[in-house]
Amino acid sequence: MAEIVLAYCASHAPMMSSARMAAPEEQRNNFFGALDHIRAEAVARGVQACVVLSNEHFTNFFLENFPQICIGVGEKNWGPTEEWLPIDKVWIPGHEGLANHIAEQTLRSGFDPAFSHLLELDHGIMTVYYELDHDMKLPLVPIVQNCAVPPLMPVRRAYEFGRALGDAIRSYTGLQRVAVVGAGGLSHWIGTPRVGDIAEDFDRWFLERLERGELDQVLDMPDDEIELAGNGNHEMRSWLAVAGAVAPVNATKLAYEPVYPWITGMAVAHWETQHKEETRA
Amino acid sequence: MSNYQLHRLVYDWVRAGEVNSADGGDGRVGFDSSPYEVTDEERKAFDTRDVAALYQLGLHHVLLNRFCRAAGFARDDYRKLLEPFGETEERRGRWQR
Repeated sequence: MAEIVLAYCASHAPMMSSARMAAPEEQRNNFFGALDHIRAEAVARGVQACVVLSNEHFTNFFLENFPQICIGVGEKNWGPTEEWLPIDKVWIPGHEGLANHIAEQTLRSGFDPAFSHLLELDHGIMTVYYELDHDMKLPLVPIVQNCAVPPLMPVRRAYEFGRALGDAIRSYTGLQRVAVVGAGGLSHWIGTPRVGDIAEDFDRWFLERLERGELDQVLDMPDDEIELAGNGNHEMRSWLAVAGAVAPVNATKLAYEPVYPWITGMAVAHWETQHKEETRA
Repeated sequence: MSNYQLHRLVYDWVRAGEVNSADGGDGRVGFDSSPYEVTDEERKAFDTRDVAALYQLGLHHVLLNRFCRAAGFARDDYRKLLEPFGETEERRGRWQR
């Protein structure tokens, strides 16, 4: 059976790639330092494949058909699509076995995810995936979520989907060591008069809830309250799905930096799923 | 969504310039907007890359952001165009109480 040997979430502002040096040096070092730590941990733990959840930005789906969740089950996916994003545009290997198992098992758990045999991956997944594996060879199961077009999946259901996702991964026999990753958030506004604002108070409160395991305070938040910390704050669904996948483990904040040149509260949080004895072994 | 055609137009234009698995990203050159059934006001806003007008016409914020990036706005540099439409937020979130 597979184990979730690495679980973390990271913000995915495209400027972390396209305008990396625009961030103050200390903020840049703290944020990327956390991601460097994660990348080393992935190597040390022998991660064989990763499942990355992020939000759909009108890259694969449009108003004719907009699934709440779509699992990339293909042998490969393409990315990044943005012509201005300075990450090589390549085919990313998928993992059909794990992806199809997740699709089947989450269906059995009462969810109805869509599936795609070819997803186009934008900065939402690619910025974070690239920081996990600069070679972009690690098999990737992408899962895109609707965090933009109402009606949105309630955040509690996103968390519950994560629980089903975690169970699905742990019941897969084709791999031993899998990473679960959430990409997006924290507070930010896009396409509105408040673009550039960051709700630092929300970001710190949210991270504290994850660290304390006080998720009920988050999971009953209605969308209009979530939006008080930015329309981009709906991307918390990816974070909550990861929290669900590894429940009852609590998160540890590795970095939080309100990076105004990147218009986003940039955070990295890690869920320790391995006992120290297992980590050393 | 009553302004679906405007959304479709902007979406197709943005995607035409991206590097997806089947296209090389030069589709914005010579892009033909004539088949889209948009109003004169919508067509003018699109043709002139008028960010403020597109916002007022109700273009989805995610799509407007992508339009801005494709039109050459790098980060939040379109904020100054939208600030006149901002409203003071009176509500408070639970993290502020």
